[in-house]
Amino acid sequence: MSSLSLAEKEAIILANDSDPQRILNMLIAIQYGSEEGYIDEETAQLVGDHLHLSQARVYEILSFYAILKTEPQARYVLKICNSTPCLFTGGAMLAEVLETILEVPADEPTPDGLFMYHSIPCIGACDQGPVIKIKDTVFADLTEAKVYQLIDDLQRGCYQEL
Amino acid sequence: MIKRNQPVLLERVNKMRQATNVGEYQEYQGFSGLLKAIEMEKEAILDELDLAHLRGRGGAAFPLGKKWRHLYGAKGDTKYIVCNADEGEPGTFKDKALLKHDPLSVIEGMVIAGYLFSAKAGYIYMRGEYLGIQKIFQEALDNAEKAGFLGENILGIPGFNYNITIISGAGAYVCGENSALLNSIEGKTGRPRVKPPHLADVGLYLQPTLVNNVESFAGIPVILREGGQAYRELGTEDGGGTKLICLSGHIKNRGLYEVNLGTSLQDILYSEEYGGGSSTGRPLKFIHFGGQSGPIGAVQHLEDCIYSYEGLWDKNLSIGSGAIVVMDDQVSIVDYLVQVAAFFAHESCGKCTPCRLGTTRILELLTKFNNQTAVVGDLERLEKMLMHVTNLSACGLGQSVANPMKSGLAYFPEEFEAGIREAVAPVKGGLW
Ligand code: SF4
Ligand code: FES
Repeated sequence: MSSLSLAEKEAIILANDSDPQRILNMLIAIQYGSEEGYIDEETAQLVGDHLHLSQARVYEILSFYAILKTEPQARYVLKICNSTPCLFTGGAMLAEVLETILEVPADEPTPDGLFMYHSIPCIGACDQGPVIKIKDTVFADLTEAKVYQLIDDLQRGCYQEL
Repeated sequence: MIKRNQPVLLERVNKMRQATNVGEYQEYQGFSGLLKAIEMEKEAILDELDLAHLRGRGGAAFPLGKKWRHLYGAKGDTKYIVCNADEGEPGTFKDKALLKHDPLSVIEGMVIAGYLFSAKAGYIYMRGEYLGIQKIFQEALDNAEKAGFLGENILGIPGFNYNITIISGAGAYVCGENSALLNSIEGKTGRPRVKPPHLADVGLYLQPTLVNNVESFAGIPVILREGGQAYRELGTEDGGGTKLICLSGHIKNRGLYEVNLGTSLQDILYSEEYGGGSSTGRPLKFIHFGGQSGPIGAVQHLEDCIYSYEGLWDKNLSIGSGAIVVMDDQVSIVDYLVQVAAFFAHESCGKCTPCRLGTTRILELLTKFNNQTAVVGDLERLEKMLMHVTNLSACGLGQSVANPMKSGLAYFPEEFEAGIREAVAPVKGGLW
């Protein structure tokens, strides 16, 4: 996946009618469409200009909402659910297993920039825990072996679309 | 005719091949609620809603008929209809099923509201975690518009112009709070507003606004189609209809179910039709109802419990969002509550001090109990802190943080006491 061009970003903004009401829709679409997985300054400026919002307003929004990021992310950001239904039905092992496989603590990208993992609250898949979410895709009913498999598959490029 | 023990909200969810197909939706009585509504006097629609006694399914359980009547009487030419689809309560995934597998029922409910209140614009605020579902929902909106159920002169009625826009959330639990949600729709940060004024009078863009949950909107067409009385009879005295429940935790058949209000809790937990009992082979110990902000009940005290509004109120519990999170006897209540507290400390929007700092203090105190480093006096400190956060917080998030903590303390005091290190001399003073 490559990052979005200026024209592609503008197309997303226009598809949302440059409507300030839909600023979150646009920011998420742009972020998920970009390889680095964050909204850089230039993009924040672009969105602000189209919506007639100051840079400060755009950053206020970027910093308030958890899904939006202002720093480059790893290629694959693995999100683990840390809410109680998942945590107490096997989810507690996920952080441990990921740390063992990836050899980095939470929130830190692996040296090759490929992986990063962190905990987030419930994603609405509580009946399928333990779960890992990458962008909009949920990997459910995980076991330790399945996590190894997932990392392996990601490394081998099985999930190019993510 | 609808009967008890018949799926009402999940009927189509389980049957439809293509959820966004209007023709198929109509094969299962879709849009017949709307067609009824436009034949009725507006006051008569409100009467049916009152009769149905549907309580808001988002968690607050406020009678929907009353809410709609309030908005009906509110002054203003521009009224907005908002569907709260920000489902972020851990343990809750019911709205997801409707949005994904029966979006047209939610749309129909919102169109009926649009008709009743002569609204031009409806919004559905859907959580950022449901991006794929946003696409499905958009397709359903487009199809509904093509079929003449949205847009200009809906159903050929001159002046009945109404559209629905999807607004995405972006990962903030507090946006499930209605006023925060409205701020977020306006393109602002989703921090709750100070109330009063009531949102029915001063809501979105300061205009009178109706905010209801996904499941509530999906129930509206059923009420109009079948009549308020028939809907009411599906439930109990204090709340009509069926309820979507989400079973998770240490229960064998985790998943989404639809039950009549008035079903026995034992059935929900143990019968094969629903939960099927413990998944771990260990006895079940406690149940967290309605999401993180809901109360906790001890399974052994709930043998005669009826799952209905009044049935749970009798036990100091509540239905909330419909989450039923079950834990077995190997889970320590203190350990569990630490995680709940961490959730609130993380999700507090920070606007008011009692909630911002209080949630952190609660987390610290519970952690002490969990690490068995609490000292004499900490229990009183915890209780006082819980009281302060409840009473001094500005919105529902802060006001309900104490629900799980207080009920956990009431049922399992010995587990807290075991966390107190007696060897340490009591700390003097320092009660907040
Ligand atoms: S109670 Fe908490 S979440 Fe609600 S407004 Fe205050 S700080 Fe924000
Ligand atoms: S609690 Fe983990 S997905 Fe809901």
